[in-house]
Amino acid sequence: MTDRITAPAAGQAGEGFLSLKGLTKSYGGFAAVDNLDLEVPKGELVAFLGPSGCGKTTSLRMIAGLVPATSGRIVVGGQDLTEVPTHRRDMGLVFQSYALFPHMSVARNVAFGLEMRKVGKDEIAQRVKEAIALVHLSGKEEHRPSQLSGGQQQRVALARALVVRPSILLLDEPLSNLDAKLRDEMRNEIRDIQKRLGITAIFVTHDQVEALTMCDKVVVMNQGRLEQVGTPVDLYETPKTAFVAGFVGRSNRLKATARDGVAEFAGESFAAQAGLSGPVEIMVRPHRVVLSAAGADATAGDHRVSGIVARTIFAGDILQYDVDVAGQIVSVELATRGGETVLQPGAAVTLSWRRQDVFVYGTAA
Amino acid sequence: MSAAAAIAPPAPVSEARRSGLALVVLLIAPIALINALGFLVPVLNLARMSFYEVEPTGAMREVYTLATWLTVFKDTFYAELILNSITVSLGITLLTLVCSYPIALYLHRSSGTWRTILLVLVISPLLTSAVVRTYGWIAILSDSGLVNNALSAIGIAPLRLMFNKTGVVIGLTEILMPYMILALLAGFGRLDPRIEEAASTLGAPPFTIFRRIILPLTLPGIALGCLLCFVLAVSSFITPKLLGGGRVFLLATEIYDQAIVTLNWPLAATLSILVLVIFGGALVLYTRALRAIM
Repeated sequence: MTDRITAPAAGQAGEGFLSLKGLTKSYGGFAAVDNLDLEVPKGELVAFLGPSGCGKTTSLRMIAGLVPATSGRIVVGGQDLTEVPTHRRDMGLVFQSYALFPHMSVARNVAFGLEMRKVGKDEIAQRVKEAIALVHLSGKEEHRPSQLSGGQQQRVALARALVVRPSILLLDEPLSNLDAKLRDEMRNEIRDIQKRLGITAIFVTHDQVEALTMCDKVVVMNQGRLEQVGTPVDLYETPKTAFVAGFVGRSNRLKATARDGVAEFAGESFAAQAGLSGPVEIMVRPHRVVLSAAGADATAGDHRVSGIVARTIFAGDILQYDVDVAGQIVSVELATRGGETVLQPGAAVTLSWRRQDVFVYGTAA
Repeated sequence: MSAAAAIAPPAPVSEARRSGLALVVLLIAPIALINALGFLVPVLNLARMSFYEVEPTGAMREVYTLATWLTVFKDTFYAELILNSITVSLGITLLTLVCSYPIALYLHRSSGTWRTILLVLVISPLLTSAVVRTYGWIAILSDSGLVNNALSAIGIAPLRLMFNKTGVVIGLTEILMPYMILALLAGFGRLDPRIEEAASTLGAPPFTIFRRIILPLTLPGIALGCLLCFVLAVSSFITPKLLGGGRVFLLATEIYDQAIVTLNWPLAATLSILVLVIFGGALVLYTRALRAIM
């Protein structure tokens, strides 16, 4: 197998190690992935984030070669892999359903990829041992997958994908089948291992917490299209589209009308995109809203609206008020410190927030 | 629940288990009874008959003798008959497996209406009697049949496709294929496209995936299908009778001849018991194989 891709060199500065160029997958007339352009630098962990059906898994499967691309190129380390069959792409894929070989022991599962690469017997034994130790499963080598818990099975799947030292590690919702506690544990573990090995990885998830907490960069996708690429902070603080603002973190979405780049809501003016007219959504995150009793001198914030508390939800660490402002509900979240007065429904309040915490998006389309 | 159980609180567990057991026995009883009356009693009767004495006229006397059994064991004709039956049936089983496996695999992977249509197509031959299907094969395989007519049309000498083992093997293979396909499908439960994809991403080319992943995972289905088809092949007699034309000697056809034509019932009974022994052996092999591959 001389045509196998061996340890590709890092891409030139400014260019990604993995480049997707106009990647498209159509089923009939429907574009599951529509003209996806992306550059992933070497050693980064990048999340593909989006709701189900947004094309993130299809994109991952195209990178792995499991789904042929309708058009576009997939380039890894300067080599065009678009037409290369899956088994010669040298990628490690971890499935949501683990997809372990049920008829093989843990050690045989992990050794499989090395056997395919015709690695020597002694080296296989050594590397399998290391990989199993890396995922903390030493002692379970001779177990069958069915004898392991879900978390342990996912570790085996991870070891199996990593042991071949793939050029890219692809993770397809690897934590979705695990319970909450295990998910937190595996999240940190995957991140640690990825950093330690310096491997380039794509992490497909519908869970924004996973994407934000684990990944260097997040690619938000919706309806086959790329909405925004950025660091977790970028996406949270400067969402470029209404979809990103709504999908990453929680947001109040207030309906309003804009005229010549200025949106009006509850007697307050908000700066929108220059020249924008028509229906808009004003977005503000619940924990960026400052709440004060009506009449009190609310100095904080550039925008100020008044309303009536419609609902009070005390969740221990968080105190949430749903405030009726001009017929729309604005949720406000306060971190409790103890000793604050809990306002009851009916109380008149003033809400304020800073200019940089507001996003106005046109919804005319 | 008895009064005693109500008085002594720790008892209910074993009480519940006992009543559960009673329910199981009750549910099994009808089929056990039917099997005992409809299968076990006739088989025991057959076993007894195999020791009866038979006179040259064909008359059977209720006098016990080992004569028939000794004949069967001494006469090489019967040893050959048994060996022939087993090898022909194994050959048919293997051929049926080879022909059915790709169809079953394709069916397993298809879905929706297409899968339903294919399944109906697979099962539909079972709606026609084996006799009719065998006559269909005669029309195809006979000296002036479809195949030989076609061959002579392009100037090739006719092939002997009937009244020999070839005809029996072809006919039985086709007749047994639905059973094999259904058995294979039933045993394909562990096959998962994700597992094949995982092997592919790890560097396995298609044939290696088949050899290392698909084949091992489908072994339970293969074992089940082979057991079923072997048993059906050994016991089938209409198709070998018609397509073999009395020139292919198999256990089932010989039993028929002895029972109906020669009227040597003790010999027919002895050979029937031997068939049962062969089935027992196949079953033992099947269980062993299953334990080895699971």
